[in-house]
Amino acid sequence: MAKHKLAAVLLATSFLTGAASAATLDVAMDTSPAGLDPHLVTAFNSVLIVQSNIYQGLTDTTPGLQVVPNLADSWEISADGLTYTFRLAAGVTFHDGSTFDAEDVAASIRRVQSTEIASPLASRISPIIGVNVIDPLTIAFTLDAPFAPLLSSLAGIAIVPAEVETNKEALQQVPVGTGPFKFAEWQPNGFISLVKFDAYREAGKPHVDEVKFHFVPEAATRQVGLASGEYDLLPSIDPATALQLQGQPGITVHQTRDLGYTLVGMNASRAPLDDPRVREAVNMLLDRQEIIDGALFGSGVPGGPLSPALVDWALPTSDYACYTQNVEGAKALLAAAGVTGPVKIVMKVLPRQDTRDIAQVVQQQLAAGGFEVELVNQEIGQFVQDWRNSEFDMFVSANGGSVDPDQYFYRTFYSGGSTNVFKYDDAGLNALLDTGRSVTDTAARKAAYDAAQRQLACTGPIAHIAYGALSTAAGPNVSGFEINPLGRLTSLLDVTLTK
Amino acid sequence: MNTRFLIGRLIDLGFVLFGVSILVFLMIRLIPGDAVAIMLGANTEITPDRIAELRDRLGLDDPLLVQYGNWLWRALQGDLGTSIWTGRPVLNEISVAIWPTVELTALSVLVGAGLSIPIGAFMAQARGGAAEVAVRVGAIAGLTIPSFWLGIVSIFLVAKLLPGVSALGYVPFTQDPLGNLQRMVLPVIALSLPMLANLSRLVRSAMLDALGQDYVRTARAKGASRRRVVYRHALRNALIPFVTSVGVSVGYLLGGAIVVEQVFAIPGLGRLVLGAISERNYPLVQATILVITATFVVVNFAVDLLYAAIDPRVTN
Repeated sequence: MAKHKLAAVLLATSFLTGAASAATLDVAMDTSPAGLDPHLVTAFNSVLIVQSNIYQGLTDTTPGLQVVPNLADSWEISADGLTYTFRLAAGVTFHDGSTFDAEDVAASIRRVQSTEIASPLASRISPIIGVNVIDPLTIAFTLDAPFAPLLSSLAGIAIVPAEVETNKEALQQVPVGTGPFKFAEWQPNGFISLVKFDAYREAGKPHVDEVKFHFVPEAATRQVGLASGEYDLLPSIDPATALQLQGQPGITVHQTRDLGYTLVGMNASRAPLDDPRVREAVNMLLDRQEIIDGALFGSGVPGGPLSPALVDWALPTSDYACYTQNVEGAKALLAAAGVTGPVKIVMKVLPRQDTRDIAQVVQQQLAAGGFEVELVNQEIGQFVQDWRNSEFDMFVSANGGSVDPDQYFYRTFYSGGSTNVFKYDDAGLNALLDTGRSVTDTAARKAAYDAAQRQLACTGPIAHIAYGALSTAAGPNVSGFEINPLGRLTSLLDVTLTK
Repeated sequence: MNTRFLIGRLIDLGFVLFGVSILVFLMIRLIPGDAVAIMLGANTEITPDRIAELRDRLGLDDPLLVQYGNWLWRALQGDLGTSIWTGRPVLNEISVAIWPTVELTALSVLVGAGLSIPIGAFMAQARGGAAEVAVRVGAIAGLTIPSFWLGIVSIFLVAKLLPGVSALGYVPFTQDPLGNLQRMVLPVIALSLPMLANLSRLVRSAMLDALGQDYVRTARAKGASRRRVVYRHALRNALIPFVTSVGVSVGYLLGGAIVVEQVFAIPGLGRLVLGAISERNYPLVQATILVITATFVVVNFAVDLLYAAIDPRVTN
């Protein structure tokens, strides 16, 4: 009997003493990352944890998508656009206590470019052909051709200690960076804990002592956990969850325009879609707002080739005549292109709920113009394979976005570009993209990309559908959080907790 | 105890594991989409060379029979392979993930089986009374409510009624015993309730059966107390179906633990195997399911032994 009493007392006290310690920010996400090496991981959750928190790049991207100094204090670009010289921040240390200098930067660039490491980030800095350490705090990169997006690309290239240049395993388990938080503990499938880095170069930051990323597979549990204060932050929640959480007391849903978009892809090497007039007719048959309302819970805005979040670059959709639904106009264009009678089209669909729903609405809208669209729902491996081999008439899919127009356009639309699976081949557009990439004058770049957007919006191989909203929910104790359109948690070092 | 009986059961164990290993091996490979396709996903910056290299490293281009033979040969030497994603030996991954599941299952058996005896005995004695009807309705409810629903509702209730109490996640017992037990309360309730409901109904009917037997009347007639008759005479005879049922329930608890681990964010074997299936992590799926099967078979083996101990007629 005494034992029973003891157990009861233990149970009761454990309930009473259960409060979490004061300055831990508890973040809940759905899956555990496979690894933490910033040059190897591409999974969204891995990037979310390591970027900005554990690691930093030479530059950084603000929530307003401006490129600002980070580990580099300042830089100079030579007149021919081929040499970038960076002045590095002084007094920066890595989490292991070693001092950050130009050798670490050089080693990090070499590591990303090495074929041994096989980093998926390599293509982002492929124009760099020479790295020259001038002194411990000055480094110069030489390029084979002018590459205007370099500075924004560098924001995503984490600087790691020089010692790990050829080591493919070490950082996967125990990351070592210069960021405001250092790695502390990883309970597989449980949580990853990062603690405040005391020697962080900005005095007084970060404000919280620990950030704990909990891996909680069940969406309902994450939601209840936020409401009960068990979790403080749910990054990147889906539109339906965001709607549910919005009304709840104490919970703030931070939202911003997503950089990624949903799309209908068209094979520009197959008749009749090889005719620009037919592609324009497809655009004119679509009612994008109806797709958004019917398939995306109304969450999203119609968008052109660039995300509206790129305020300095994106043109408003009102600039594109083909974005107004016009069935008669579409029919006239089809007739002019010599397309008569019903057109049979096979449309492959990326296996995701939103893309499946979009495909059904698009199928109906295109029927008005005489397209007989057959939808094929594919398993992911098969879809990717067909996509890569250009084995499609049309497909519905989703693309990620970036900070610079070059990253949206070059590989996707340039002749022979690495993801130009549409086989789109247009000399005029190639010239515009070359200009955008090689001139560093912002006004000249803007002019080139304006022209590119106008061309791509109506006659390009992609009918852009919608840009969704990116949402992060924060509990009542969190202040200072700011959402970043890149989906990264760049503001955790400014967050304070009031518990 | 009979040695032949023991050896016979051990040989059975070997056959079951062999059969399961073939089944699992084929099943995971017959799901469309292989590890490489999933691993690369829609990542566009990866070349065909890298795909070929990855398939080669994983041995995915060999015929299935060769792949299975290679795996079995290494498995017999105690090498169950390494995880495709983390590169760590799968046995390491399993040895970390197994403890939360073992604790969850063991506590649930303890609670479910332990409480079912007094509750079942009570229902048998108080048959027909209002209290018994209430308990019986509760038992039926316990049987029919799915664990995941009960889990989410209980998380929500604790969040509302006891704010500030951590009910989610897992802390090892050695690190924080109180925190560990506190986080186990809800999952154990959610997991053990169906078992408790099932077993107490079983104890009730077995007891009713036993209480109607001649030896019970004889015991009462010679002056044994009611309590002694219930717990010494009737219960002991009611135990045989009970023990079998507990053994079988352990298997269901392992299955239920997968669901409960999802809901309560406990990093156990269930999470490990679910994640491994969705990312087509072949070696990890095979090893984890083999471990779960072995546990199930070993528990049943132990039940058989216990059976033999309770009722010596079994071995003959």
